[in-house]
Amino acid sequence: MEDFATVYRECYPRVLAYAASHAGPRLAEDITSETFTIAWRKAGQMPSNALPWLLGIARNLVRAAHRQTTTYELTDFPADDDFAVIELRAALSSLSEADQEVLTLIAWHGLAAAEAAQVLGCTTATFFVRLHRARRRLQAALWTPKFDSARESWKTS
Amino acid sequence: MEDLLKDLAQAKPPSPEVDRDRMERDLARITALPQERPVRKQLVRRFAPLLVIGVVIVLAVVLLPAPPQPVQPASPQKWWHELTRQRSLMIVGDPAAPYGVYFDSKTDRWLAANQQVTVIQKDGEVRAFPLTRDGNTWENAGSPATVPQVGGNHLVRIGPMKPAVQKTAVSGFQMSLHSQARFDSLDSLPAEPRELRKALETIVGNDAYRIGSLAMELISANVRDDQRRAAFELIKTLDGARFLGDVTVLDERRGIGVAIAAPATFQFSDVETQLVVDPQTGLPIVKKDVITTSQFGLPAQMPISEVDYLLLEQVGFEPIVPQDVPVNGEVESPIIER
Repeated sequence: MEDFATVYRECYPRVLAYAASHAGPRLAEDITSETFTIAWRKAGQMPSNALPWLLGIARNLVRAAHRQTTTYELTDFPADDDFAVIELRAALSSLSEADQEVLTLIAWHGLAAAEAAQVLGCTTATFFVRLHRARRRLQAALWTPKFDSARESWKTS
Repeated sequence: MEDLLKDLAQAKPPSPEVDRDRMERDLARITALPQERPVRKQLVRRFAPLLVIGVVIVLAVVLLPAPPQPVQPASPQKWWHELTRQRSLMIVGDPAAPYGVYFDSKTDRWLAANQQVTVIQKDGEVRAFPLTRDGNTWENAGSPATVPQVGGNHLVRIGPMKPAVQKTAVSGFQMSLHSQARFDSLDSLPAEPRELRKALETIVGNDAYRIGSLAMELISANVRDDQRRAAFELIKTLDGARFLGDVTVLDERRGIGVAIAAPATFQFSDVETQLVVDPQTGLPIVKKDVITTSQFGLPAQMPISEVDYLLLEQVGFEPIVPQDVPVNGEVESPIIER
């Protein structure tokens, strides 16, 4: 019980951040709560490094939430972000869900490759391959004429 | 490329504020819920009647007299076909500022009594990667075509590998490519763990790791299911072996695993070999060597080499080899002399 409470308090903010970034702030708290409810039921299976395991549970719940809704909740970003950040987010959102997931687990949720691989249920080697490809596609998305013209129109408006 | 991830980190949306009251309320509610009982007991209780029926059916089938065997026409040679993917990593570059390289290739192996055909370095590639998020990169080192091993005497060639085809006539059944272990017959190997251990000891001696390695090779060979199960049970009984229980590997496939301590490599210490098999068939899913402590900035439990078993099947047709690759020609290894 004490161990679970310690893990809960330690990992709650990161599970919440993961849920918010993938399902929006409205569903984030419910998904986080459900994640820890499942974790409690399966506490016997909880590994010593619990975060990747918890994010794996949260990931399944996010997917289930997406299946139940036809529209995804939009996340509000601060209006004062500079164009480079807006452009990067736009490029990211133009990628497949799988590519976004691989990139954000590292860049936004601060996981090591082995931990991110555990969340996705693949091997670390497979994860590195996916990460490499996702980075290449993100780079390509940033270089497409769509973004060049967007950049120009931003400057002139 | 590395900067791209740093830029992306800057684009992270703001993390939501944690509502401490709700967090503590949820914790109190969650911990008041019942926890799952161990799965094994539940399963046994639930499936006990089915188990009894199954045993009765099996006994009835075993005790019935066998029908006379129909005369079979002469069949083509049977081959045991293994398609595996090998991945491993090595530390390279300047020892003061190292980075990693990944070797990634497939091996197609066709094995029959007294002969084997192997296609190695299929779809093979060596790629560089930084050891940590902010670590040194191959690009920073000037993208050299060959890079020195850290702690070794060879160079590693970056880029695609060239496939090679090897046909050999061997006496009996040879285990893996690099193994000297051969069996005159696989069928005669014991299906009882202790007896199997004695049989394997006669080949590799009383060395837990070598016995375990050979048992792992047997699991991927064309042996009967009961022999495969005995090999897995044997590994579990070796000194220092650890049963990993249920594990999820390779895109959510589930299996049961076992780990044995492995000898250090020229770059890594604290290594263990983990094998995960399909609990239904006993066939292997993945075998990997992982480091049990953080080394070179790589986290503990990181695989340093891995074999994914993509296909294990008995086939009645001749091996399929690439037509444009000379048989038993020179193998262009990505590891070359300095």
